[in-house]
Amino acid sequence: MLTIENLHVSVEEREILKGLDLSVNAGEVHAIMGPNGSGKSTLAQVLAGKDNYNVTQGRVLYRGEDLLEMEPEERARRGVFLAFQYPTEIPGVNNAYLLKAALNARREADGEQPVDAFEFMRLIRSRMELMNISKEFLNRSVNEGFSGGEKKRNEILQMLVLEPSLAILDETDSGLDVDALKIVAAGVNSLRSADRAMVLVTHYERLLELIVPDHVHVLSDGRIVKSGDHELARELDARGYDWVQQEAASA
Amino acid sequence: MNTEALSRQFAAELDRLPRSAEAAARRAAAFEAFSAAGFPTRRDEQWRYTDLKPISTAELDFAPPPPSTELVSRVAESLDQAGFDEATSRLVFIDGCYCDTLSRTTAAAGISLASLASCSEADLPVHAHAPFDGHPLATLNAAFARDGALIAAEDGARTTAPIELVFVAGGRSGLAAHPRIVIDLGQGAEVTLIQHLLDLEPGRGWFNAVTEIVQAPGSHLTLYRLQDHGTRQFHTALMRAELAEDAKLNCGYFDLGGRLVRNDFDVRLAGPGAEADLNGLFLASSGQHTDNHIRMDHIAPRTRSAESFRGIIGDRGHGVFNGKVVVHRDAQHIDARQSSDNLLLADNAEIDTKPELEIYADDVKCSHGATIGELDDDQLFYLRARGLADEEARNLLTFAFANTVLERVALPELRELVAARVAARLPNGATAGGTR
Repeated sequence: MLTIENLHVSVEEREILKGLDLSVNAGEVHAIMGPNGSGKSTLAQVLAGKDNYNVTQGRVLYRGEDLLEMEPEERARRGVFLAFQYPTEIPGVNNAYLLKAALNARREADGEQPVDAFEFMRLIRSRMELMNISKEFLNRSVNEGFSGGEKKRNEILQMLVLEPSLAILDETDSGLDVDALKIVAAGVNSLRSADRAMVLVTHYERLLELIVPDHVHVLSDGRIVKSGDHELARELDARGYDWVQQEAASA
Repeated sequence: MNTEALSRQFAAELDRLPRSAEAAARRAAAFEAFSAAGFPTRRDEQWRYTDLKPISTAELDFAPPPPSTELVSRVAESLDQAGFDEATSRLVFIDGCYCDTLSRTTAAAGISLASLASCSEADLPVHAHAPFDGHPLATLNAAFARDGALIAAEDGARTTAPIELVFVAGGRSGLAAHPRIVIDLGQGAEVTLIQHLLDLEPGRGWFNAVTEIVQAPGSHLTLYRLQDHGTRQFHTALMRAELAEDAKLNCGYFDLGGRLVRNDFDVRLAGPGAEADLNGLFLASSGQHTDNHIRMDHIAPRTRSAESFRGIIGDRGHGVFNGKVVVHRDAQHIDARQSSDNLLLADNAEIDTKPELEIYADDVKCSHGATIGELDDDQLFYLRARGLADEEARNLLTFAFANTVLERVALPELRELVAARVAARLPNGATAGGTR
């Protein structure tokens, strides 16, 4: 599904990712953990196509094709989804309009007909219930005046509607209380399937108790320095990141 | 147009208009006042950002011949196609001439609706004859105005559906029209009025209008104007309003077309508790110039005003906002707000924005703010990351910027119409779709 080879990325001359390798197969959930400043969010943004990141070396293949060559909208239409760490407020554009436009853009790319209003409502109703989002929400402006938790639930709702092949969740757990975290996890888990891959970028282990990953990677100073399974995440939670960083330094 | 040519036109026009000696003298005085000063130039502080030369140097016919029956039927057809409902109380003007066959003057009880030329002078409110000191173009209108609309509401009268005034430019180039709109609301009257300005086909002419509003205590006027001319027309207009105690005025001005547009607003909050809300949206690109020039006088205590104008300025477009709030002596407990927010879509787009305050009282809450910005990169990226094409995302965000003004339109049908017209004219081309 996703192959990242020797990825080097800099922002304003400063190198953030320094040779990152990662391979994610369909059906797998990977967690990328690491201390602040290790490059987790940079990785998520680069995969979605944010333009102020400079890829200086390496390549990223998505289903065998060069992902970095694609415009952000093309990535989205082909099934790449980024749940933003800080979802942007867009006054004057309402949620229903964006959801429908996003869904139809994806359907068009798949050669499908656009959804009509009735089908759209049928499609989103159960997903809104799952995310505990009320109907009034549809007429509100995208993320405007939303609490942190509402913004994150909205990201997951969009993901459920768009049914991406590759979902990248950037710190979706940050700023959530336990109840909101459970709702978000239920949403994410409902989408797990054999033909879909997920990359969870997170600082904390608590999300991984609810969305159990197949693989856990530690990102430190722009590289993946250790990989393991769920047990690694628990160990990191108990012991912090220092030991991994020391291990990496001495290797 | 030189002064001599203008004088000849005026002399000919004065002879044609069947009016009393008194009225003729008023016209002559107005014309003299205009001629003495001539067209304002950019040396005049009030006209610093707007150059009237394209109008003053154009050869224009100030006394256009009435529309032919053929033109009238084409206008009828086009209004029909545009979905104008026949049952609506409506006055239709073609190149400034009232068109009886397309109009319907029946209105709600206590509301009278008539073409000005059809009224006897005795029927006209006194303020319909007031001079327009400080407004040279309105003075010119006073000299040349042939016709227009009178909307009068008796005490307590209410419109049950909006009254419409439709001004159509018939496509004959080089015509100048000087319509006059007189609105007179009795105590507690409530009136909603929509002005539509449109071109039957693209032409270059000048539309120089004056709207005179007098509101008795407790009256409410909601006034919308959709200026949807082609991009070659010149459009200038003065709206002057005087509000008595607890009267409320709510305006929504949408300027989408026009080559050179200048709107003057002169609002006097003369009675305690009077309130005025002026909302505006304009699009200016491809060399269009739109200037909103406001003077808001808080004469009485406990008066409130809010001005909120938004401009979307594209390629070679130029926008101007000049808003002046004057709080008079002893006018305490005033709340006055002004905002001018502008979205620049091209490197050569230009906006001049100048809020001014003159305050002679001490218990006053005044605020003004101006913003000038471009489309937000993070918002664009967010939309593109959801699969919207770059241009679609740009249009959507541009439309969203306009939408905060559209949302204040209380009439759903009008809101949809304006939204559709805005979307059709967005600088990036294709429609942006609605958000509500």
